Amino acid sequence: MPKRQFPGRGLIWAAAMIPVVVALAAIDPKDVSSAAAGLNYLGRLCGLAGMVMLLLAAALSARVPGFDRWFGGLTKLWKTHHFLGAGSLLLLMAHPLLLALAETPGSLEAAVTLLFPSIGEWQIWTGWLALVLMMAFLAPSFAFFGRPDYQHWKTLHRLAGPAVLLALLHAYQYGRTLPMNAERWLWPMLAVLAVGAVSWRFVFSRRVGRLKYTVERVISVANNLVELVLKPAGRRHLNYDAGQFVYLAAFDESLSDGYAEEHPYTLSSAPGEDVLRIAIKGLGDASRAIQTIRPGSRVTVEGPYGRFFPDDEPERQLWIAGGIGITPFLGRARHLYRQGRSLDVHLIYCAQDEERARFLDELTAIAEEVDGMQVTPHYFYRQGPLDQDFLVAEVAGPADRMAFICGPQPLNDLAKRLLSGLGLSSRNIRTEEFELL
Amino acid sequence: MKKLVYTVFIVFWAAILTLLAVRVLTPQADFESVEIERDGIEIENGEPVDGHRQRFTLEDVAEHDTLDDCWMVIEGKVHDFTDYVPRHPAPPSVLEPWCGTEATEGMRSKGDDEDHSRRAWRLAENYRIGVVAEAN
Repeated sequence: MPKRQFPGRGLIWAAAMIPVVVALAAIDPKDVSSAAAGLNYLGRLCGLAGMVMLLLAAALSARVPGFDRWFGGLTKLWKTHHFLGAGSLLLLMAHPLLLALAETPGSLEAAVTLLFPSIGEWQIWTGWLALVLMMAFLAPSFAFFGRPDYQHWKTLHRLAGPAVLLALLHAYQYGRTLPMNAERWLWPMLAVLAVGAVSWRFVFSRRVGRLKYTVERVISVANNLVELVLKPAGRRHLNYDAGQFVYLAAFDESLSDGYAEEHPYTLSSAPGEDVLRIAIKGLGDASRAIQTIRPGSRVTVEGPYGRFFPDDEPERQLWIAGGIGITPFLGRARHLYRQGRSLDVHLIYCAQDEERARFLDELTAIAEEVDGMQVTPHYFYRQGPLDQDFLVAEVAGPADRMAFICGPQPLNDLAKRLLSGLGLSSRNIRTEEFELL
Repeated sequence: MKKLVYTVFIVFWAAILTLLAVRVLTPQADFESVEIERDGIEIENGEPVDGHRQRFTLEDVAEHDTLDDCWMVIEGKVHDFTDYVPRHPAPPSVLEPWCGTEATEGMRSKGDDEDHSRRAWRLAENYRIGVVAEAN
């Protein structure tokens, strides 16, 4: 699968760079006539670039279903969003420091009054407030104070709204870095984009994007793993491909945690089924609480997201699953079985031990029906970490296959390394991360 | 990435606090007596030092009417803003029409009836080169 099929990331970064390139092309000799002028220019450039990245990150947060396909899936899109946010924070921290440093040749006093002017100078203070809010809402994203709790992070991240508005108010007061007063229309344009995206997310998608379902059955697969079977409660139901994921919000008041919160889960059902199935392992407060959700409860489902499996099916495939990363493969295997398809695919299922190899019986049974499908479990307690010898011994021609990997990050990294070592090019290796932070 | 962002976050506050600390701990007088030399004109406490308190006519000022040589009269005082033009927040094109003119209105209104800040007024003092000569 050539990387160029996912132009999203490249396009976004190119868009982020355009204003900087234009500013640099139109640079005035006076901007670099002295050290102070140069620092001042650099400070303005950082402000400009950081602001553009902040607004693009905001625009990406819309999570419009289908749009993530341009990025190769929502987790990849989130990654771009994450790096834009990081870049933006770095640049916007440099911005006031550089501007203040540019004043120091005059006097230290001038530098300090630039940073902390009189109360009435709201143009500066809105910038400050925006930056401090940014630090607050990005602190969990970059684990400033330890590993964050998902819901906590999500709530704090809403401060992004006021931060962006204040930053826009600040930026709109200035503007002499781009030629022809381009800031005058650049900020309103990007503001419309960002505000549009956020309104889609918090207003429109809540009404239109969320589909109503009812919990029909709760199948207990193991003591911390359930498979929810959902039936449509409204007229519309979800159209999806095998292995995609949704944001699920549960409205069962008996839940000890996570009531009405939305969390991402992979669909484990096959697209043709009348019901949706979602396998959920108790990994956090909300996913532990949902293990006891009552049949008949109302839930909403938004999506689908992700594009783990490409539209054009590669002939020979290798699937490597780790732990609960089995769910997209489960959905895909069920789909193959229902369609009566044959496919040359070998699934390596990595689990701690037999007890934790969930759904293995069902997958083995499907493999007996699906022509060309094989399943091999790999147990950590007995065989240690996955290695090349195991892959070569178990899988016929591993290097001629297109590989799909879904598991915890360390396994994803390990499997990628092993497959590269076997001669698979990176374009033939696809990974799906289910940890978003 | 997390480490980089965290490091810069710490550096940022360290720099800001250092700047503030130096400002607070250094006696105020040291800043006020700083002498700035600009185009050979000594300025002390924002006032041109005696002997450089030059007088210019509006005609003199009008000769400096480009962005590369930009003088302005503000409330009877003559300023040479040539060095400041690239550092002004608004684009140079906004300043250009005021070069070589009596620009008090521009300073007071900022184009939309909003006065410049006190900081801006103080800053302008640094670029003062003289006063307007009384009309004969």
